[in-house]
Amino acid sequence: MKFIKNHLMFILPLMAILLGVEFYLVFDRTTDSYEKGLKEGYSMLVVTKKPMELSAFKALNKHISTSQKIQRENIVSEIAKGMSQSSSKEILSSLPYFYNVGLDSYLHTSALEKIKTDLEMDSNIKKVETFGSSYSSSYRLFSFIKFTLKLFIGFIAVVSLFLIIKQMEIWKYTHRERMQVMEIFGAPLILRSGVLFKAAIVDAFFATILTSVVFLYVKFQWAANSGIDIMMQNQEALFRLTDIAILLGSALLIVIISVYTVVFSNKGVQE
Amino acid sequence: MSNVITASHLTLAYDNGAKEIIKDASFSIKKGEFVFITGPSGSGKSTLLKALFGQLKPTGGNLIVGGLDLANIRQSKLQELRTHMGIIFQDYKLVNEWTVAKNVVLPLMIAGYSVDVQNTQAHRLLKHVKLAEHADKFPLELSGGEQQRVGVARALAKNPVVILADEPTGNLDDYSSNVIWDLMENACQQLETTVLVVTHKIPTIFSLPYRHFIIESKGVYEVH
Ligand SMILES: Nc1ncnc2c1ncn2[C@@H]1O[C@H](COP(=O)(O)OP(=O)(O)OP(=O)(O)O)[C@@H](O)[C@H]1O
Ligand SMILES: [Mg+2]
Repeated sequence: MKFIKNHLMFILPLMAILLGVEFYLVFDRTTDSYEKGLKEGYSMLVVTKKPMELSAFKALNKHISTSQKIQRENIVSEIAKGMSQSSSKEILSSLPYFYNVGLDSYLHTSALEKIKTDLEMDSNIKKVETFGSSYSSSYRLFSFIKFTLKLFIGFIAVVSLFLIIKQMEIWKYTHRERMQVMEIFGAPLILRSGVLFKAAIVDAFFATILTSVVFLYVKFQWAANSGIDIMMQNQEALFRLTDIAILLGSALLIVIISVYTVVFSNKGVQE
Repeated sequence: MSNVITASHLTLAYDNGAKEIIKDASFSIKKGEFVFITGPSGSGKSTLLKALFGQLKPTGGNLIVGGLDLANIRQSKLQELRTHMGIIFQDYKLVNEWTVAKNVVLPLMIAGYSVDVQNTQAHRLLKHVKLAEHADKFPLELSGGEQQRVGVARALAKNPVVILADEPTGNLDDYSSNVIWDLMENACQQLETTVLVVTHKIPTIFSLPYRHFIIESKGVYEVH
């Protein structure tokens, strides 16, 4: 019973860190597609005197990735209903050209302003319409959420690391007699702390497996049956096989750091 | 013959130098010598041994063991030095969650011997101290005298260059005591092991020549 409690006190904080890591990975991946979605969902409207190629737009600002000409004929034919052929041609020739310009990523308002001024430098461009307040506030909300999440995960990680080190100190205390005797007979540090390493590495594997199971459950059971669109669409991004390697790597790194911290905290073992 | 241990104006103290135990002691011990150390309780016999295996740093003077200055020794050097020492403690210092056999072969384990070698050596060593049938027991299942003998077997496991023994026969009857003295005499005679033994009673039957130091009122004196 005491054995289980001892290990749980180590595995749980370790799992908290791993869940944080994995959650961050998943968040990054799913919002990545969210960003993509946003990017495709909007564009800039540019009005030019003469027709313009995409390469010409790109030369003005490198963030521009697509340009789509709006068919003027449709606009004119709406206006020119019932007019003569020649007068509709006249309207057409006096109309400027319209382009929907797409950007390569989800940009901050100031970056959008920069694109606007860059475009307006060109004498061929008459007018550029950028997006207003709704774009800016949703971007700010988005980066605020991302920042808070990072902060929260970082905070959990720090607290958990303290708990892990505390537990490791308890282990060191229970094994101090053996470690002292080994030191007296000249055992190197790695051999003396071997018992701590062994226990900690076993726990690192356990924590990795448990965390993976949690996410596999979320991916295949919960997300699939949740009825939440974004979950079902991004099911693939929720947990990947390579994540297990990342988690195990993180767990082992944390374990090695904490064992060394504890072992070195009191080098010469005095009685 | 070279000195294995040289102390010159050695001072040992606890509590950051506040509590002086040994002051301005000078002596040297050559390879293969057998030395008895006696003195009243609390005089500093265990303290001197502690200094000799580098657990307590000198607060003054010099202490050279195996050519290494223990006042300024690197941790890795000290580790290496200790693997050439066989130390026997007044309070045994066995690892209670290990079997007797595993305790005995600790020096071999540290030296990286295979488990096979460790097992055969454990059997041989325990036979020497008449504990062969207790190999798989745990230290706390043994009597004080038996634990003491496990400690002796452990100290002898790797044929050390120096044996430092603190009351190795303190808990033993005459028969077991003689077993221990025989083992130490043999090591000294056949392997030229330097032996320092703290004891309250020098054995009456002892065939080797020996030196005798007394620790008293912070000094270390040789009895001639
Ligand atoms: N870790 C310590 N911190 C402070 N004082 C200590 C420490 N260890 C021992 N002492 C003191 O140092 C003095 C010498 O102790 P030591 O153990 O060397 O005596 P000893 O000669 O081995 O006695 P005994 O024959 O009873 O074993 C004693 O007064 C003891 O109280
Ligand atoms: Mg003593």
